[in-house]
Amino acid sequence: MNILLVLIPITVLLALGACIAFFWAVDHDQFDDLDTPKLLPLLDPPDDAKPEDPPA
Amino acid sequence: MNTACWHCGEALPTGEQFSATVSGQSHPVCCIGCRAAAEWIDQLGLADYYRLRSEPALRPAASPNDAASWQHAELDRHLVRELDGGKQEAIMLIDGVRCAACVWLIERALGVVPGVESVQVNAVARRARVTWESARCSLANIIEALQRAGYRALPLDARAFADSRRAESRSALKRLIVAGFGAMQAMMFASALYFGVFDANDAGTRDLFRWFGLMVSSPVVLYSAQPFFAGAMRALRARRLAMDVPVALAIAIIYGASIFESLRGGHEVYFDSVSMFVFFLLLGRHLEMRARHRAGDLTDALAKLTPAYADRVAADGSIERISASALAGGDRVRIASGAVVPADGILLGNPCRVDESMLSGESAAVTKRAQDSLVAGSVVLSGPADMQVQRVGADTVLAAIVALVSRAQSERPRLALSGERAAARFVARVLVLASLTAIGWSVVDPSRAFAATLAVLVVSCPCAFALAVPAALTRSLALLARQGVLVVHADAIEKLAMATHAVFDKTGTLSEPKMEIHHVDARFAKNDALALAAALARNSHHPVARAIAQAAAGVPAAQVGQIEEVAGSGVRGTFAAHDLRLGHAAFALPAHAPEPSLADAVVLADETGVIAEFHMSEQERSGARAAISALACLGVSVEIASGDVEARVVAMARKLGVDHHHARQTPADKLDRLNALRANAACVIAVGDGINDAPVLAGADVAVAMGNGSDLAQASSDIVLSATDLTALPRAIALARETMTVLRRNQRWALAYNLLAIPFAALGFVPPWLAALGMSLSSLVVVLNATRIGRHAPAATGSQPHEAMA
Repeated sequence: MNILLVLIPITVLLALGACIAFFWAVDHDQFDDLDTPKLLPLLDPPDDAKPEDPPA
Repeated sequence: MNTACWHCGEALPTGEQFSATVSGQSHPVCCIGCRAAAEWIDQLGLADYYRLRSEPALRPAASPNDAASWQHAELDRHLVRELDGGKQEAIMLIDGVRCAACVWLIERALGVVPGVESVQVNAVARRARVTWESARCSLANIIEALQRAGYRALPLDARAFADSRRAESRSALKRLIVAGFGAMQAMMFASALYFGVFDANDAGTRDLFRWFGLMVSSPVVLYSAQPFFAGAMRALRARRLAMDVPVALAIAIIYGASIFESLRGGHEVYFDSVSMFVFFLLLGRHLEMRARHRAGDLTDALAKLTPAYADRVAADGSIERISASALAGGDRVRIASGAVVPADGILLGNPCRVDESMLSGESAAVTKRAQDSLVAGSVVLSGPADMQVQRVGADTVLAAIVALVSRAQSERPRLALSGERAAARFVARVLVLASLTAIGWSVVDPSRAFAATLAVLVVSCPCAFALAVPAALTRSLALLARQGVLVVHADAIEKLAMATHAVFDKTGTLSEPKMEIHHVDARFAKNDALALAAALARNSHHPVARAIAQAAAGVPAAQVGQIEEVAGSGVRGTFAAHDLRLGHAAFALPAHAPEPSLADAVVLADETGVIAEFHMSEQERSGARAAISALACLGVSVEIASGDVEARVVAMARKLGVDHHHARQTPADKLDRLNALRANAACVIAVGDGINDAPVLAGADVAVAMGNGSDLAQASSDIVLSATDLTALPRAIALARETMTVLRRNQRWALAYNLLAIPFAALGFVPPWLAALGMSLSSLVVVLNATRIGRHAPAATGSQPHEAMA
């Protein structure tokens, strides 16, 4: 069971690391706009682009 | 051959031809502005935009607006925020963002402006945050770049947007994630203890795990739960019992008791429960906050009406562009044609026409004479106008309305308040029960007193109550917003679910004005007459002119020169050496005696006589019939109350299948009718176009206004239908009913759970792991139940609100 004494601090360190990474991401604008990115994976690759629709 | 402009999608003019060369191909465009925008976009290598977009672009202003006038230190002070390292930042609302491709284009178009550091565009809020190096770039460059791409940018007051919202959502997210991590870890350590991984006699290992539990739950309690403690302190200082009080109390007691137990080597610790509790509560609040911020975007749309700048006329007659907030009473400002009035004031000099539709809802332009008052936010149609400033900034009528709307949005819905009160009462009772348990057990078996008391506190966590209402409300508000139903007052959902009657206004609600062409002179074909009228009407803002231009959308435009708008009368122009006039009969036919048959017609004429007559009639709004039958399916009885003449009301009622109708109603009559209905215990929805109906809407249980998001009239309504399709209303009612069903079910469920669990806990039958599990599961069930709202077919017209009983 002594292995727990190693593993538990590792889990704590990992959780801490994840928290730090997350804080960094929040502070670097990664979570400010949760609406736009989902619109951005911009549609189709050029090859299967539809022929030009006359804009309505 | 394509007849629509490649860039903006408007009809191509027939006379002069423009074309833009994009990706080596020539495409027809309607004007120089569109050509410039299209070719500029191509030069930047961004022609992909045309492939990616899903909506045509906004037509750019033909003459790129005087972007340079933004280059002004005084303006910068208000609109630009200084950042470290010689950088500046501005937030602007961008007109013309229509789809994802716009976001793509704006980000790239601004990215190539030298000095621009970062660009973030939010397509939903239509807001861009731009950061640039102040040495290499300026606000003016950025606005100019946007204008060239066809977008109109309105910088927002940087101080007003001092990031309070961003800071709030960031800190909420951080607290949530810390609570999430902490709860997971605490649960892990606790489950090892619960499942007896360790020999009960091995007190050392057990204590070690408890200390680990303390370690991971401490950040949760001390950092993540801080808003609850702060809120509880505020409430107590104000001598109220808010939801935060019992929550903070529960957190503090469970956490404190667990530390005490760990120190004492007692039976049970509850670090996992307390972390879970905080995590679930924060999750609920986070969802609520996001919905609130989204509603705030509506207020931004109002803020957009206030212009950021004004052109002040100095004593020597020179004009200086200053920030609108720098204006003072007594200043003289000049307002160009098409510009927005920056402050309340009185008109000096020449009369002009003003569009006050944002404020009064009256779509026809108003003619103002010298000494008449102008209201901030209205648009001057025939300028320039000089105005003496009277009230500025927060004293203007517009500011008062904006404040009204934001106040309505910040009000807590009554449902949530009653939920909180119920939870507060509940917790007071639980505290009494816990004390009774403690006293009872200390008489019977003192060693078990503490464990049983804690079990009562944990198992009975009020989170099911605290989450039940916000989770359900948030979910339905979000769903409704997606369907084009903006709920201004969250209370309206409750009323909407109870609605028994719906009273519709006719004009502008069930019907929409439609232009019909009557009697075309033999010299012209119908389409030619229409084309001539449209060419004259194209640049006018008058609603009739717009209707004519719209009716001519499919017709090739005619080339009419020297177009001149005569305020209050009509439009004139020259075509093939004829003097064309479009307007009311007296204007169009100056040489003729007025004919009674032309009294309310719009006439197109030249010197020789009438070319065509146009009559405005009405047409049923799309979806009106479907909406009314759907309302009937939902058991809501429909009435029409209109100020219009009997014959037209009857005709429309028959067309739509409405039995009850009242014609020639004054607002007072309509109000009486509503009161009579309400006296019979009916819950009445009034649907109107907002403005003319404002007093009527105010008298209804639920006021629904038709219109778009920037219409200020909606300040007086509870719900705004931004979808032009009326069937959104029955869908909203069905959804509101479902929400209320789920909400009540949630509350009943939480009550049943607590009634069942607490006696067992008090009697000492509930081991703490079961208590913690029960608490967590009860919260989860509540949240998951709320997410089920609207899961059934969106065609809610047929859905039964009582499916819950199954």
